[in-house]
Amino acid sequence: MSQETGYDASLWLIFILVGLATTLPRASFIVLGSRILLPSVLQRALRYAPAAALAGIVVPDILLVNGDLSPFNPKLAAAIATVAAAMLSRNPWLPFIAGMGTLLTLRMGLGWQ
Amino acid sequence: MDTSPSAQFRAGGREGFFAFLPLSVGLIPWAMVTGMAMVSVGFSPLQAMGMNIIVFAGTAQLGTLPLIASGAPLWLIVATALALNLRFVIFSAAIAQGFRGMGSGVRWLSGHLLTDGVFATCVAKMMETEDRHWRLGYYLVPSIWTWLLWQCFALIGVLAAGSIPKNWSLEFMATIALMLLLLPMAKMRPMLVAAAAGGAAAVMLKGMPLKLGLIAAIFIGIGAGFAAEHWQARGKEGDKA
Repeated sequence: MSQETGYDASLWLIFILVGLATTLPRASFIVLGSRILLPSVLQRALRYAPAAALAGIVVPDILLVNGDLSPFNPKLAAAIATVAAAMLSRNPWLPFIAGMGTLLTLRMGLGWQ
Repeated sequence: MDTSPSAQFRAGGREGFFAFLPLSVGLIPWAMVTGMAMVSVGFSPLQAMGMNIIVFAGTAQLGTLPLIASGAPLWLIVATALALNLRFVIFSAAIAQGFRGMGSGVRWLSGHLLTDGVFATCVAKMMETEDRHWRLGYYLVPSIWTWLLWQCFALIGVLAAGSIPKNWSLEFMATIALMLLLLPMAKMRPMLVAAAAGGAAAVMLKGMPLKLGLIAAIFIGIGAGFAAEHWQARGKEGDKA
């Protein structure tokens, strides 16, 4: 998968396995009923997994440019605009408009990559 | 009052639908953004809708897209999807009693359709109500409505993205969407610590082979959240003394 477009058939295998990784946790207790109980330490640990995983994906996305740490880039400015919009308004579209607007203005308007 | 199973199912379904309807509007931008994001990493419309139907989970779809696009190893993609879905193990345990008296086919379907919004709306009445047909309608009708909205608006996003020029940086929509999922979590202090530690670790460990840094970052984040929870509890005891 070196070129940008054109995935081979293994993409469908990825979909099926990600689908299983989605449906099995959701169906787990609904299907098993109350036959199994989750230890409470594990329950508490699981609570933090999504936040850690989301930040693990998003933060490098915003701070790295071509694999190098470069905090002053248009993506960081766009991220700040997104967070500000989300905190100041309840409109679900506004963070997307603010974030994309900032990114496009800086990249295309000012030529800042 | 008609108490036949199908009348009970319909009565429950109507109540569930109207309880969930206001919340369902919030799904629309998510579905569209997910559709656009899938096209932005180079999926064909068929591949994008295939993923949307097979996976049916915005967070897991958006979260795995950058990994799929960069050619990350399969196990890492699946492990990341699992980490993003783990909260549903807890939801599933919490709502399981609501399916008492129902067969396993219906339970698998209900599990596949479990979403944050329907869980939050339906969990209380699923516990209280006696009639299992009413309960099933109350859960399934808003769930199927969610599924339909998700597929329709993702398709609109997929088709719209095709006519947007490549240099518009559409892939950043996925980053924005993931940030917006993270924000409400970060309002709780230990969760914020977990996110900060996970994010910082992912940046520092970016050089690790096979993107192992992400998995390490998830464990570091979980550990940091756990530790913060302990310190917070101890701090509160200290305040009282």
